[in-house]
Amino acid sequence: MAQMTIAEALRQAIREEMIRDERVFCVGEDIGIEGGFGGAFTVTLGLSNEFGHDRILDTPISETAIAGVAIGAAVAGMRPIADVQYGDFLFCMMDQLANQAAKLRYMSGGTLSVPMVMRAPVGATARGSQHAQSPEAFFTHIPGLKVVAPATAYDAKGLLKSAVRDDNPVLVFEHKLLYGSKGARSEKGALSPVGDVPDEEYLVPIGEGVVRRPGKDVTIVATLLMLYRALGAAETLSQQGIEAEVIDPRTLVPLDKELILASVRKTGRLVIVEEDNLTNGWGAEIAAIVADDAFVWLDAPIKRVAAPDVPPPFAPPLEREYVPSEQKIVDAVLSIL
Amino acid sequence: MTVDILVPPLSQTADTLVIVAWLKQVGDPVTKGEILFTVETDKAVLEVESPASGILSAVLAEAGAEVKVKSIIGGIAEPGEVLMVVEPGGETLPPERQNRLFASPRARQLTLLKGVPLADLQGKGTGPGGLIVARDVAAYLEAQRASPKVTPLARRMAETAGVDLSQVVPAKPGGAITKADIQSSVNEGLGAPVPPSIPAISEPASPQTPAISAAQVVRLSPTRATIARRMTQSHQTTAPVTYQREADTTRLVKLRKRILKKLTEGTIRPTYTDFLVYMTCRALARHPALNATFDGERLELYESVHMSMAVDSERGLIVPVIREADSKGIADIAWERSRLVEQVLGGTIDPDGLVGGTFTITNLGTLGIDHFTPIINPPQVAILGVGRIREVPAIRKGKIRTRKMLGLSLTCDHRVIDGAPAARFLQELCSLIENPDLIWL
Repeated sequence: MAQMTIAEALRQAIREEMIRDERVFCVGEDIGIEGGFGGAFTVTLGLSNEFGHDRILDTPISETAIAGVAIGAAVAGMRPIADVQYGDFLFCMMDQLANQAAKLRYMSGGTLSVPMVMRAPVGATARGSQHAQSPEAFFTHIPGLKVVAPATAYDAKGLLKSAVRDDNPVLVFEHKLLYGSKGARSEKGALSPVGDVPDEEYLVPIGEGVVRRPGKDVTIVATLLMLYRALGAAETLSQQGIEAEVIDPRTLVPLDKELILASVRKTGRLVIVEEDNLTNGWGAEIAAIVADDAFVWLDAPIKRVAAPDVPPPFAPPLEREYVPSEQKIVDAVLSIL
Repeated sequence: MTVDILVPPLSQTADTLVIVAWLKQVGDPVTKGEILFTVETDKAVLEVESPASGILSAVLAEAGAEVKVKSIIGGIAEPGEVLMVVEPGGETLPPERQNRLFASPRARQLTLLKGVPLADLQGKGTGPGGLIVARDVAAYLEAQRASPKVTPLARRMAETAGVDLSQVVPAKPGGAITKADIQSSVNEGLGAPVPPSIPAISEPASPQTPAISAAQVVRLSPTRATIARRMTQSHQTTAPVTYQREADTTRLVKLRKRILKKLTEGTIRPTYTDFLVYMTCRALARHPALNATFDGERLELYESVHMSMAVDSERGLIVPVIREADSKGIADIAWERSRLVEQVLGGTIDPDGLVGGTFTITNLGTLGIDHFTPIINPPQVAILGVGRIREVPAIRKGKIRTRKMLGLSLTCDHRVIDGAPAARFLQELCSLIENPDLIWL
């Protein structure tokens, strides 16, 4: 059992999959250049030395090129792992993702498939509105795309390996403050959780959530950085005798509804935390599912803690106010008890 | 959490301000700093900003109201709290939404599963904004477990006697509180002051109380229940006064005999009641105040007389109505009366035939009654009780004669008919009975 950061776990997953399957290759901006960072957050650092530039492909600064290469290669039988430096840039390739990658399998009656992985860092980190968004919800709305959001090293490796082996396009959202990137790419205020990663081969199935902390009084659902804020809030609440159950869905599409519903049936209360803007986030979808399927189990209104409906601000004090804090989660829980 | 809306201390000379207008209505979203309402000081009209963002959840002082400085005149709830918004006076809410108990879905489900009346939890909600939540239902059930069960009869007796059930210890440890427990509590003075009739509840008395045992318990038929209800209603809502008088029917008896002789075979024979219906209609035409209905507020007089007739049937008292009796002759009245009585006795009377009467005649003369105190048939205002015709010695022109006298008992609702008009009507009616030829006047 090794101790790893998420960036290290992702790198190990890529290496193992590239060794296992020759069709697997990486494509992105500055992911393999000499003296580079190994992508924006060091995930592919050193891989070009090991696999060469034919399999660690550096592209010009053109997200549409990355998407075009990845989708075309996937349709042609390859298994690309593409990445964007910031999740915000996914909007550049929206037509390719929403109209091509997501739909080719359906439109061809299953003749074509797009076994592509698109990795995207998210989260507000004092980089302003265009390098700070958490756009997961946009992609949960497009049938044909799978959306995962690992928050631990174990899940990062296991989910990325599952994503590579999946015959559908999978978007892997990773949080900048969770990578544990080192050196020049280390993030100020990063959480950088280090976790156990087994030495032996393992996969984390796409579509399975996990209970991070058991509790009986309220269910808190959160992903990525918000998961850690939720766990912190749960700790605070615990000191007041309130036991929160914290659920990490790990995958947003397909969603592990049953895990959430079972928890709400137990606790009767639900707080959903997301770093994205409040309106029409994936949290709204979970709230709707619970209101629909577990209505009679609810003992209080469902609460969402999310960023306000404004772009992520540049100024650090405003950003701190923008991103849901532990205190806001605690307050939301207390408001429904 | 609801933020109170306070009256700002805008006036330096007065303790009170007047609300000019609210710019938001209950239920509207408001933003902190937005103009919420305007007030008039002794000097000017000023705008007041909202102290918080949220939903305007309550307005306690309407436009025009004079309010004290720093008093609370409303509240702003968080958006999630709008569930608890109560409209002032409940006027704009549909009736089924008024007085709604706010309980979480889980609490409602629990009450259904556990058979807890949600109303019992009123005011016991401990959730946000007083919301009834699951733990409140659990606490209620726990309290119930802790306190003994109570039989329905015992509960009713306790209510009547004013016994505090929490003070009653069941005779059987762990058992339910029964009638006997309430009785002994009453005897011990727990429930005082208690009327002595407490045990007399309509259920067969137990062997411990032989003095009040009933021979039979009768379940009320729908007709009997209706009669009971209407009689109670009458006695509780009218101010009945009964006026009694005798009428000399000697001439009427002769007249009736003459008419009966002339009747062809198969024609319905008019009874004295039929004659009295006919004559009452004539008298009512001159005293329309008695041909009326009164519901406590609205007094309605009628041009036509729709004569209700009390009929004794197996099912109890039934009162069919002769429509427009005042436009019918004796023969028609007799025919109609005969038809209605037949339908009543046969149980085939149309419910429509039992409503819409404006005056009632009831006859107990065939059963030997002279006078009684008839009960008004609400919303009518008067009822005429007819007794028997009997021969009595009477002094006429200084000599003792035999006369056929009829006892009449007129009950009027004194709320709308005073004594003198009632007596005048009775006088008029007696005059017609005694001088049937005057009917042509």
